[in-house]
Amino acid sequence: MGIHSYAVDEIGHLKENNYLNCDKSLRSWLFTLDHKRIALLYLASLLVFFFLGGLSAIFMRLHLYNVEKPLLSPDAYNVAFTFHGVLMIFLFIVPGIPAVLGNFLLPLMIGAKDVAFPRLNLLSLWIYWLGALVGIIGIINPVWILKYLQGSAISQWIPLDTGWTFYAPYSTSTGAGEGWGTIMMTLAAFILGFSSILTGLNFMVTIHRLRAPGLTWFKLPVFVWGIYATSAIQVLATPVVGITLLLLIVEKVFGIGIFDPAKGGDPILYQHFFWFYSHPVVYIMVLPAFGIIGEIIPVFSRKPIFGYTAVVFSSVGIAVVSFIVWAHHMYTSGMSPFSQAVFSATTFAVAVPTAIKVFNWVSTMYKGSIRFDPAMLYAMAFVFLFMIAGTSGIFLAVLGLDIFYHDTYFVVAHFHYTIQGGAVIGLIAGLHFWFPKITGRMYNPGVAKLAFWLIFLGFNVTFIPQFILGVQGMPRRYAFYLPEFEPMHRLSTFGTFFNAFGYTLAILNLAWSWAFSKVKAGANPYDALGLEWQAPSPPPHDNFVVPPNVEIGRYDYGVPVNLVAQKEVVRS
Amino acid sequence: MDYIVPDKVSTVADFFDDLNLAIFLASAFFTVAIVGAMLYFAFRYRAKSSNDITPRIEGNHLLEIVWTVVPTVVVVVIAWVGIVLREKMFEVSPNVIPIYVTAWKWAWEFRYPTGKRTSGQNAELVVPVNKPVKLVIASKDVIHSLFIPAVRIKQDAVPGQLKYMTFTALKTGEYPIFCAEYCGTRHSYMMAKLRVVSEEEFNTWVNTIPEKTMPKRILGKKLYTDLGCNACHSVESGVNLVGPSFYDVFGAQRNFKDGTSLTADENYILESILYPNKRVVQGFNENVMPSYEGRLSQEELMALVSFIVELKTAPKEELVEVVFEKDEKIDLEKMTPLERGKYLYSAKGCNACHSVDGSQLVGPSFKGLHGARREFADGSSVVADDSYIKDSILNPNARIVKGFVAAMPSYQGQLNEDDLAGIVEFIKSLK
Repeated sequence: MGIHSYAVDEIGHLKENNYLNCDKSLRSWLFTLDHKRIALLYLASLLVFFFLGGLSAIFMRLHLYNVEKPLLSPDAYNVAFTFHGVLMIFLFIVPGIPAVLGNFLLPLMIGAKDVAFPRLNLLSLWIYWLGALVGIIGIINPVWILKYLQGSAISQWIPLDTGWTFYAPYSTSTGAGEGWGTIMMTLAAFILGFSSILTGLNFMVTIHRLRAPGLTWFKLPVFVWGIYATSAIQVLATPVVGITLLLLIVEKVFGIGIFDPAKGGDPILYQHFFWFYSHPVVYIMVLPAFGIIGEIIPVFSRKPIFGYTAVVFSSVGIAVVSFIVWAHHMYTSGMSPFSQAVFSATTFAVAVPTAIKVFNWVSTMYKGSIRFDPAMLYAMAFVFLFMIAGTSGIFLAVLGLDIFYHDTYFVVAHFHYTIQGGAVIGLIAGLHFWFPKITGRMYNPGVAKLAFWLIFLGFNVTFIPQFILGVQGMPRRYAFYLPEFEPMHRLSTFGTFFNAFGYTLAILNLAWSWAFSKVKAGANPYDALGLEWQAPSPPPHDNFVVPPNVEIGRYDYGVPVNLVAQKEVVRS
Repeated sequence: MDYIVPDKVSTVADFFDDLNLAIFLASAFFTVAIVGAMLYFAFRYRAKSSNDITPRIEGNHLLEIVWTVVPTVVVVVIAWVGIVLREKMFEVSPNVIPIYVTAWKWAWEFRYPTGKRTSGQNAELVVPVNKPVKLVIASKDVIHSLFIPAVRIKQDAVPGQLKYMTFTALKTGEYPIFCAEYCGTRHSYMMAKLRVVSEEEFNTWVNTIPEKTMPKRILGKKLYTDLGCNACHSVESGVNLVGPSFYDVFGAQRNFKDGTSLTADENYILESILYPNKRVVQGFNENVMPSYEGRLSQEELMALVSFIVELKTAPKEELVEVVFEKDEKIDLEKMTPLERGKYLYSAKGCNACHSVDGSQLVGPSFKGLHGARREFADGSSVVADDSYIKDSILNPNARIVKGFVAAMPSYQGQLNEDDLAGIVEFIKSLK
């Protein structure tokens, strides 16, 4: 592969040799050790699942437009929301930002040639693909597939219909393949978790060992801190999935009661296991997005990030607290009032560092010189959406209120504000922001802004009505509803189409611009500081042509405060 | 908010709505302030040229301390009020009317101490206005969740455990009840009704038990909806929901998954109600239908069977009746008191909560119970003799043994003197 960073083309011009064109064979992609190619392979895989998950959401919303003349049977609806949840969570947004932007940017941001263990990085990708395959088998129904392959009498086909939370004993007794579907899904989560653990480990070692000389910890980008905190969660939380898997198998194969009360088990124990992993996972999804927003706002405001140390420590703080809030998903399942109060208190402890982050982002814009590139629009939308996500989270953290809101559309709306409004908008913002670095070209900004407005308005029209449905007492996971819920459901369905169309347009715009745009980006189109902008766009295989300069701080925008007056005078 | 919140029916609803509104206003204030500041900055400091001078402000300690402390104080206060609200929601007042709630796929059942029961399609939770009620909640199969928006409370029904919920309704009327925990195919149809009535109306209602006097055919039809059979079995020819249509059953050839087959008769129908997973018809799934063994009286079972049979044929009531009555009478009367007690122990479902080997289930074990000293929650104690045991069966909640909850229904009217004597003998035998 590209040993020489520059080569000469057929007619003798100096031709840039980058990570994309240094070798074009399929083999060179599937066996690549280049963190940038691995990032793109992750991106392509994630987009497939994002598309499929989105499609099932559209079917659900269409069905809910008119439940008098239903589009889907109740079973089909249950399968649709399970499919949506499982794909979006486990195959799309959990790997999400770390796998794509983390992989692409982390070495570039710290001035390294690659991650610490490039082979392990490729292995993580393959493990992710294996996990996705196992997950899809779990969704389709492993028992049915086995019977089909053996050619024996095929019973009625039921794909996985447990919801993405797989609560026992429903998930272990019915659903796809009498519980084997759930075991396969847990296996898939475990395999995918291994991919996460290896990626997390790789990133942590990379950050510890491969920083360019002089790039000390408190000069690191806030995005790298976000990735670091995320990696720590991945490494520590994922093993719990393995334990759960083992217990499910022991129960199924040996009939030892662990979760199933019919065998003497405790179904609440399952919920503890599930959320002990799945709550920290929520922070795996959003912490890197916080980092992205912290990178974008300074560049387009020409200001240093406000309160760098607080931003860093709030990420670390959120990561730590994320491990002790899990049971706030279980207030109505009958825990003791004391434990409920404790988990309510720990949950509120997350609110403070999150609030600090928002204050810091907004303050960064103070006295800036603000440009409204699409990436900046997404970042500002993120602040707005995350305010709603955060404040609606307060309602759910309040013990007495959650007794009502739990398992209603309020939770659905809150969750989508954090995950779609947070993680997905963060990912899309990042993809726009670093698109010139990834592809070497500029995208069409007009189309990107149109797509932004469709996503922003569509998203709010979809989910604000769901908050109202929640306040009205509409339970989630219902294929049917009483007449009083109809207007808000219809409005929500209406918004879905704008939202879906917006995402399609945004992604097609990027893809089209990459393939056909003639506008070259150059190494540093935003005139930004930070090491990744010192590498050519797209970067060569080894990232940097000349060793990156770490003398100028990443956030050293603007003029030192004591010199501002002087400068103003000079300018006027 | 008053436009969109559900009807306010319970004593905690006002507290709930006030707290809800207060947090909404606080959230709206902070959101508008922060997003407003962002938009103001975006407008005020929009780029005028590519070489605008910006100050390198890296932070401000005072400001940062303020915006750490203020949210901390705000959330501590909110968290505290939330805990207080939760305490209020689950505070059980004395003189509470117990109602036993059972959930299964996919129906609710509400049972009253008088023996009054509503369930399935007609499930109604009828409560008197201004009187506290306590719901003791159980599940037969998977996790369900009893959600009554009008009283602002929700409680999961967890198999193998008893949970409780309490409220005082303040306004007569009818309000929806939902299952809020996903439980499969018909989850979204697992609804019931809360009906709040005047105390007089409640007393009349709870003491009128139509099942006892109803003709069989009508009772069968009522059970068909009350038990929620209709959720999965239609009565129309060829319409198969989750289970086979009842219309097509009687006299038809049934082909089972294990390869056997038979022509459906009354006995087969009875078997399918009691042991639904023993033989499953091809094209349908195992372990979907719960067993109704021990949940229905002989009279109710008979009524259901005859209802299904008569959908297709001329009445065969007499035949069915003879079979059952012979069974029950001969079996019980021929038994010794000990045999009778042993039989009733499982037939009446005592075994669900009371073990015979000393292990503690929901209630105290029967082993070694007779002659032992019983310590009650109120501090008093007594030696368990025959009359104490009989009394505990008829008025189980009069005195509760320390460490247990008031969960047992009264068997008043369900057992005669001979039955009680039999059970006492049975317990005595467990030394």
